[in-house]
Amino acid sequence: MKKRYSKPHQIRAFFVMMKYFFLAQTRNPGTFAFGFLFPVVFISIFGLIGNSTTPLSIGFPTNSNLNNPIISTIKKQSYVKIQTGSESQLEKSMKQGNLSGIINVKGLSQNPPKYQVGIITSSANQQTASAITSMVTEIVDQQNLQAAGVTNPAITIVNQQLAGQQIRYIDFALPGQIGFALLSTAIFGTVFGLIYLKKALVLKRMFATPTHAITILLAQGGSRLIMAVLQTLIILILGIVLFKFYLPHGWITFVELLFLSIIALIAFLGFGYFMAGLVNDENAAGPMVNLITLPQFLLSGTFFPTSELPNWLQPIANILPLSFFNEAVRKITTEGGSIEQTIPYMLGLVLWGAVMYLLAAKTFKWE
Amino acid sequence: MSDIISVKNLIKKYKDFTAVNDISFSVKQGEIFGILGPNGAGKTTTLEIMETLKTLTSGEVLIDGYDVSKHPWEVKRRIGVQLQSSAFYPEVRLTELLDMFAAMYDVKIDPMEMLREVELEDKAKSYVKQLSGGQQQRFSIASTLINQPNVIFLDEPTTGLDPQARIHLWEMVRKINKNGVTIVLTTHYMDEAEQLCDRLAVMDHGKILKIGTPKQFIQDLLKTGFKKEVKQKQANLEDVFLNLTGRQLREN
Repeated sequence: MKKRYSKPHQIRAFFVMMKYFFLAQTRNPGTFAFGFLFPVVFISIFGLIGNSTTPLSIGFPTNSNLNNPIISTIKKQSYVKIQTGSESQLEKSMKQGNLSGIINVKGLSQNPPKYQVGIITSSANQQTASAITSMVTEIVDQQNLQAAGVTNPAITIVNQQLAGQQIRYIDFALPGQIGFALLSTAIFGTVFGLIYLKKALVLKRMFATPTHAITILLAQGGSRLIMAVLQTLIILILGIVLFKFYLPHGWITFVELLFLSIIALIAFLGFGYFMAGLVNDENAAGPMVNLITLPQFLLSGTFFPTSELPNWLQPIANILPLSFFNEAVRKITTEGGSIEQTIPYMLGLVLWGAVMYLLAAKTFKWE
Repeated sequence: MSDIISVKNLIKKYKDFTAVNDISFSVKQGEIFGILGPNGAGKTTTLEIMETLKTLTSGEVLIDGYDVSKHPWEVKRRIGVQLQSSAFYPEVRLTELLDMFAAMYDVKIDPMEMLREVELEDKAKSYVKQLSGGQQQRFSIASTLINQPNVIFLDEPTTGLDPQARIHLWEMVRKINKNGVTIVLTTHYMDEAEQLCDRLAVMDHGKILKIGTPKQFIQDLLKTGFKKEVKQKQANLEDVFLNLTGRQLREN
């Protein structure tokens, strides 16, 4: 009856398990929602935001002087949107944030023509307020010089604008969406997936076979890696085809992006394994997963740059794992840098990953 | 017949709780051996130590000549394991699961042939969660046979099944046993123990109270002068139920 057995081939078990773990993911609606649908919806929205520029909307009160060279010059500016209405209507509109400023021109005398220009801006938006003020000041100065017959003023300003790559919001947002998809796959998938496998005794049944536990975990990770590469590919291709996402060095940048995604996913998986090993129950895992992912979605430059955060928060935000990934990706896309420039960020990711794998190895509970 | 399993002075302690308290028994090649006992008696713990899924605190357990503590991988290759809940990867079809287990045991199998053995060939493309309780247990049993084991362990194989599905599963267990596979199972159904098992061990509070054949058990009890009020009953309620609903297996 006795048979001779050879050592089990962990390699075959690894690849076959990885294949079915991957298939199982493709059949799971959660993977589809977090990994594909959300990122695609987000980049579609951001792609549309990026295509329109926000104009300066300026109101002219109907009871003001509308027939003068100042108003006509303002009307010629391409970035200005004009609105007319009664003074009280316009003020209400500005308080609601729909209007950037009100310009009220009064004619003081007919001959020679003299005017008084009143500017009302909202204290809620300092940036547009100063934009309107400087625009009006410039126009008034020019016309004063003209009226005084000065053709050769003592001081002139040379305003030079360097032609640079126009960075649209989509070029900023798309790398963030890749990070979002990777972190979701690595953490939500791994934590809730592994907890289910533990609770339903699926892992235990597998441990009764001559396949090592570590082979099973590696196959799990491998299947998520394939999924992550697919997600990156789909987000990138959609971005390139639909919204002309900018790749400074063409396919080289494309391959570099895939490479960075793989490094990031391996690091993020460490977080997943650590948390999945720590708790055995979905209810306990929920808050923990949110604690790790939500701050990163908000603070890691996924939706807006970390430089817009308060100063005290920036050092913390900048060392989050997702920040390292987002920064690295933007280095090679929006900034057009080379892959060598991303090494510090990759090291950051590797360090986070190493810490998490060590913690996971120390604390992992199989049941 | 030689012993295929030998358990000597097995103790399993958790911090301040002794789950298995110094038990010894052996299982003969080719028999169906039942471990009986109420919930929390230590049946599953004993089984899981034999299956190499739990480490023992002290004592010795030999399966097919291999010590579970020293050579767990040799033991794993030679045994088949069914756990209490049907423990299979979600969103993977039956044939795919069998294929995956074959890879994990590093053997070659024909998944359809294995499904035919347990009458599930028409469910090949289903997921485990789409099966009825009896079908899940049958699939679970099929998965224990992948590596052509010498001994299989079944943990409460008929809990939660309707009478038809239980009878059907017993027939399947007997068929597997006839092919030379030794079977160790746990149960808390006395009729299952009596009809299915060649020998029994009764466990409670981590101890084995008695080992023997079902017949011996009853004779020993009668020898002590035990008498049960005998009513002339030609049938019991289960006979009525099976007579009314038939013995035919119900699926879906």
